[in-house]
Amino acid sequence: MTGDWKVMKPAPDLPAKPVDRFKWGFTATVVVLGVWSARGLDIKWSRLLEAPGDMWTLCRLMFSQMDWSEFPELAAAMWESISIAWIGTLIAAVCAIPMSFLAAENLVGRPVAWIMRQIFNLLRAIPEVILALAFIPLLGLTPMAGVMAIGVGSIGTLGKLFYEILEGVRPGPVEAADSVGATSLQRLRWGVLPQVTPELASFVLYRFEVNIRASAVMGLVGAGGIGADLAQALRFKEYGTAGLGLIIVVVSTIAVDFVSGTVRRRIVAGRPVILDDARAGEVVVR
Amino acid sequence: MTTSVEEETTTTDPVPELPTKPRPSRFAIVGTVGAIVLTVLTARNVGLSANELWSNLGRKNSVIEGLFNPDFGQLWSERTLSAFIETLQLAVLGTITGSIAALPLALWSTTFGNPHTLLRGVVRTFNSIIRAIPDLLWALLFVSAVGIGALSGLLALFFFSLAVTTKLTSDTLDGIDMGPVEAANSSGASLTKMLRTAVVPQILPAYSSFVLYNFELNLRASAVLGLVGAGGIGARIEFFRNRGEWEQLWGLVIMFFLVVFVVERISITLRRRLI
Repeated sequence: MTGDWKVMKPAPDLPAKPVDRFKWGFTATVVVLGVWSARGLDIKWSRLLEAPGDMWTLCRLMFSQMDWSEFPELAAAMWESISIAWIGTLIAAVCAIPMSFLAAENLVGRPVAWIMRQIFNLLRAIPEVILALAFIPLLGLTPMAGVMAIGVGSIGTLGKLFYEILEGVRPGPVEAADSVGATSLQRLRWGVLPQVTPELASFVLYRFEVNIRASAVMGLVGAGGIGADLAQALRFKEYGTAGLGLIIVVVSTIAVDFVSGTVRRRIVAGRPVILDDARAGEVVVR
Repeated sequence: MTTSVEEETTTTDPVPELPTKPRPSRFAIVGTVGAIVLTVLTARNVGLSANELWSNLGRKNSVIEGLFNPDFGQLWSERTLSAFIETLQLAVLGTITGSIAALPLALWSTTFGNPHTLLRGVVRTFNSIIRAIPDLLWALLFVSAVGIGALSGLLALFFFSLAVTTKLTSDTLDGIDMGPVEAANSSGASLTKMLRTAVVPQILPAYSSFVLYNFELNLRASAVLGLVGAGGIGARIEFFRNRGEWEQLWGLVIMFFLVVFVVERISITLRRRLI
């Protein structure tokens, strides 16, 4: 009996872990880039140690004596920011929907889709604030400059998300529409649109949440909204006003996120969803 | 006989009625009305007017003319080039530092990574607050606290990256397979060991992809940091804008976004590979 123990084979060696070249290459590149950046930047690193203290001082200045008399003005400015974000998002959606039909490979030919996609990519790359710089000379220092900046800037992202949804439509309803002799417009209306409307609406809302953040800083360059008040308050060292403004921005943004998120979840209840543009193209909408 | 046959053909059942369309749900009605009211109110607030917009945008102006005659010559000046590189370096370092800090923050916001209810609440609140502050606002705050310069830009991008990566990673953590976690816990692993062996390997591909995505965002953000004095090419953009040199401004912007575009393509390819 005991002899049996001795002849038992030792546990086989674990197979050697394969070397993942991709992983190591990736890590090495990140490290090299990081070192290059840290050495190249014109920063006195000893200042970094003082930064938390400075930040603490600023927070104390901002939040210890908030200037509540400014509340109505700041709230109105935040409402202007929200307005800019909403109207801008709507303008972007109105432009992006027809454009995205032209970028879906299952609806139009490849060359047309490719051109449209490059336009989206270009628009996606430009930050809204840069667009605002361009619209201010045209529209003046008005909220409309902010609206147009957000409108044009969001076409890229919305368009990209829209055509990905369109390419995921089930062919059944489209074929059904074809089989009863629908024109191409009728086909879109009855075969495609009903399938994609919930996702489209949910994305428009998602983009609205993103745009609230963009419109909150539009004022820094003079394109309307609460950003102007914040920049001015900090420049003239009216820390009480700046603190109150900051709180208003944070609370309103979280509130808008909450309401919009709830509506979004209700709209797409039971459907697989692409949550955000970081993951677009990875989740196929069925 | 014949009459009865005739009768039968005439009395065939009529086409069954279509089922009545269900009434729109209360949610749909409230949602639609809410959206319309919001649109009307906000449109008034920003002074939306198609006529005015059309005439203003159609007018001949130097901004648009500059866009079509961009001047790339000044790109090679010492100042522009160094600002250009500073922007890239800010984006790289901001992404790396912010993403490293984001991993523990995301883990601490989950039930399995942070059994302490109160502490979890604190972490989650902190996460939603930093997520509500936009990139340029961080820059504005740091310029005001720390002073003008690249350090403010770096700190701004650090917090911006922290917020974005934390949010995306915690969303992924919500959907992980709890089997390995239970296995680690049942074999008596400490919290750190459990996270290290059962959780992190599951989210690592998604996390790396978010880091890359975040880098794309940071590149774009780092171009505008300089508008408030936090380093990078934003300062040059502001300089050209103040002097009304739109040809130079657009030359710089176009060049920068060509770089962003290329980086983005590379990043997207890598992200596909990771997932």
